[in-house]
Amino acid sequence: MNRGMKKTDSRETTLFAKGLKKTYGDFEAVKGVDFEVYRGECFGFLGPNGAGKTTTMKMIYGVAVPTDGELKVAGLDVRRFEREVKRRIGVVPQENNLDEDLKVMENLLVYGRYFDLPRKVVRQRADELLEFVQLSEKSDAQVEQLSGGMKRRLLIARALINDPHLVVLDEPTTGLDPQARHLVWNKLRELASQGKTLILTTHYMDEAAQLCDRLCIMEGGRFISEGTPRDLISEHVSPEVLEFRASADALEKLAPVVENGVDAVERLGETLLVYTSDSDAVTQKVKESGISVENVLYRYATLEDVFLKLTGRRLVD
Amino acid sequence: MGAVRFPSPRGAFRVWQRNATIFRKFWKTIMLPNLFEPLLYLAALGLGLGAFIREGGISGLTYTQYIAPGLLASNAMFAASFESTFNTFIRLKIGRIYDAIVATPVNAEDIVAGEYLWAGTRAVLYGTGFLAVITVLGFALSPEAPLVSSFWALLIPPVLFLVGVMFSVTGTLFTSLISSIDLYAYYFTLVITPLFLFSGIFFPVEDFPAPVPQIAWFTPLYHAVNVCRGLAAGPSIGVLVDVAWIVAFTGALALLPIHFMRKRLIS
Repeated sequence: MNRGMKKTDSRETTLFAKGLKKTYGDFEAVKGVDFEVYRGECFGFLGPNGAGKTTTMKMIYGVAVPTDGELKVAGLDVRRFEREVKRRIGVVPQENNLDEDLKVMENLLVYGRYFDLPRKVVRQRADELLEFVQLSEKSDAQVEQLSGGMKRRLLIARALINDPHLVVLDEPTTGLDPQARHLVWNKLRELASQGKTLILTTHYMDEAAQLCDRLCIMEGGRFISEGTPRDLISEHVSPEVLEFRASADALEKLAPVVENGVDAVERLGETLLVYTSDSDAVTQKVKESGISVENVLYRYATLEDVFLKLTGRRLVD
Repeated sequence: MGAVRFPSPRGAFRVWQRNATIFRKFWKTIMLPNLFEPLLYLAALGLGLGAFIREGGISGLTYTQYIAPGLLASNAMFAASFESTFNTFIRLKIGRIYDAIVATPVNAEDIVAGEYLWAGTRAVLYGTGFLAVITVLGFALSPEAPLVSSFWALLIPPVLFLVGVMFSVTGTLFTSLISSIDLYAYYFTLVITPLFLFSGIFFPVEDFPAPVPQIAWFTPLYHAVNVCRGLAAGPSIGVLVDVAWIVAFTGALALLPIHFMRKRLIS
């Protein structure tokens, strides 16, 4: 069991990549990325579709073979020690691949056998894990009878059956309702506090902000930024955002008024976004200009602002 | 990446075990139709058609005696073929069972080897059930000309295992190359059905002019039929050649589906 303190001083490295590349024919899915994830950390991969996140995950859990570069899990090279690496990883895939021919409990028992774990150990862990993901009552249910959120929780339990060093989660809450999402988040936070190392991909910035100690933003197979959520926000966008909603004409007139002295102004349809560190001054200017504004929203800058600034607002696919 | 990969026996066993776990839950429902099918052939052709060729029979055997052991071999072929085509395709593409397994210490090559072993096991289970039925039935219906008359028949189940593995290799090879489940119609119509009809189950191919017997010699079910027929009535030494053929054919092809399947599962 690796239940250590969260973030020890020694900063034991669970995952190490250097110059990691993956090409499919002429297409370079991952173009040489470097990263290091430490034990007990939760590290997020953000990026638009096709950025190379899932390919990076697949190389970590052995379903894609790196074309070039170094990739080590718990100090073991993923190509040379394929089975040993997989023995130390738990995977929660993007698409449900539970064994529908088996009941809930049986899914865990059969999966545990793939790791050559003693039957007694698997049995005990399966009980504990069903308890952990709150599915104990569903132990004897058929998998197809579970809701989407329950299936996802069962996938999480299954990923933990081998007591992994590293848990890889590919879009862990995509398609779940808010209640189910929060439940999954709580479980993932509990895992992190137990000292498990987590890496996850997500499209939800609130998810990344909630869960990740550090994260990277990928685009076109490269890292375009990396850091703690707080660092990324302060590095790339202003702390405050004002959103003005008004008619197109009014926004046209408003833009030159607020432009001076702010960090950035962005027009998004019927909304004008103003990034600033002094929102009072901006509000004052708008009031003085006399331009009629239907609605003003004041908020702190979020990861979503960082993400959109770095990856652009155009649709990717 | 191009290197030949050999499966780990332990990993293959885990996959076999997964299939066995599920089979144990449904075996009664799964086994029943497979037991009936050869019995229907035996009744329609052995008793029905056989009534017209009663005079003399074939090489000293009644027609029912002649076809019963051959049906054991084809039964094994069908059991392994369904397993390695439709069932394997569903696990691969629809249930995504293999995607879940390759993320564990069980590798893609182990999955394929485990499926070979499982198809062999299913062939044995079906075949043994059928063998028991025709043995008892044969003695009950005509004690003077039983369908299974030699103790060598006890070796039929292990032979059926080999036959099952052999047809699992060919079936998995086809599965590893196709992307649509509809294409199995080609495999069954162009491969399995001709083998069933022209491998000497229903008539001796040896009596046909060249090149029919020569062609038959190069096909897999022909040898399986020879072995089963030999063991049911007391074998000749020639049976060893047939067994060797089965082993050699299986061994020559076994790594091919492993290679293709790995390419489908690991990019």
